[in-house]
Amino acid sequence: MSDIVLWYTTRGAGAVSMILLSAVVILGVLSSLRFQSAGWPRFLTPALHRNLALMTLVFLALHIVTAVVDPFTHLGWLTAVVPFSSYYRTFWLGLGTIAFELLAAVVVTSLLRGLIGQVAWRAIHWLAYASWPVAVIHGFGTGTDALSGWFMVLSIVCVGSVAIAIVYRMLQPPPDPLTSARGEFRSGVSRKLDQ
Amino acid sequence: MTMEGTQAADARILARDRALSLLNNITTYVAFAAVAGVGILGTVSALTIPGVAASSTSSATASATTSTPSDSSSTSSSSSVLAPSSGSVSSSSSSGVAVSGGS
Repeated sequence: MSDIVLWYTTRGAGAVSMILLSAVVILGVLSSLRFQSAGWPRFLTPALHRNLALMTLVFLALHIVTAVVDPFTHLGWLTAVVPFSSYYRTFWLGLGTIAFELLAAVVVTSLLRGLIGQVAWRAIHWLAYASWPVAVIHGFGTGTDALSGWFMVLSIVCVGSVAIAIVYRMLQPPPDPLTSARGEFRSGVSRKLDQ
Repeated sequence: MTMEGTQAADARILARDRALSLLNNITTYVAFAAVAGVGILGTVSALTIPGVAASSTSSATASATTSTPSDSSSTSSSSSVLAPSSGSVSSSSSSGVAVSGGS
């Protein structure tokens, strides 16, 4: 395969991965709202979230493999695994490695959710909130197209969509009707224990 | 189970099957769109930052110097077409195009 094709595939797959990862984060944020309708059962949002997360890993793998096997860059496989080991743009590529590993950890622990338990899974799943911004910063820092108009528009749409989803989620009341009752109970118990 | 109960269960099963079909369709469409997106965005990136430097006049002798980002030693090339990756390019021809990119 031509070096040029590899190079363009790396850039295209990177941009698509950013779009998919943003969609995954949005679906993850919205799934906690437990939205459902007649044509959209509640399980559909987390199921689509899971499918797109797995798809994101595939396109991230394409992004990484095409970058590593590109004979011009000589990045090496170590760069894909060990953060900040690259000779080239060490910091920015290191962020990309960290983002990929965080996402891989989130996906793998989600697939092994039954084995590791709900508490550990939830704790690790919060890493997704770290993975996405690190990936976006990686794109801005090391991306050849970072200053291109189309990539700027794409990034603004992705960042804006995720921000809107998070703000919307924060403004919504808790989906669990017993949340406030549980909170009052816990605070009541702690007051009793303090006395 | 009563007749009404059986019908309600059937309705729930049908609704679930429809939802799973919708999930499969959405996933398939997104997968195709993502594959197409790699091609389209790769093409767009190629058009915006092609990573080649070409002299506007074919008769001009383009003497380009390329260097990898970490490599301080430069290699001279008589070709007017550069590799698509990063590096600084300078041309002795006034009509040459200098390209500097990243990863």
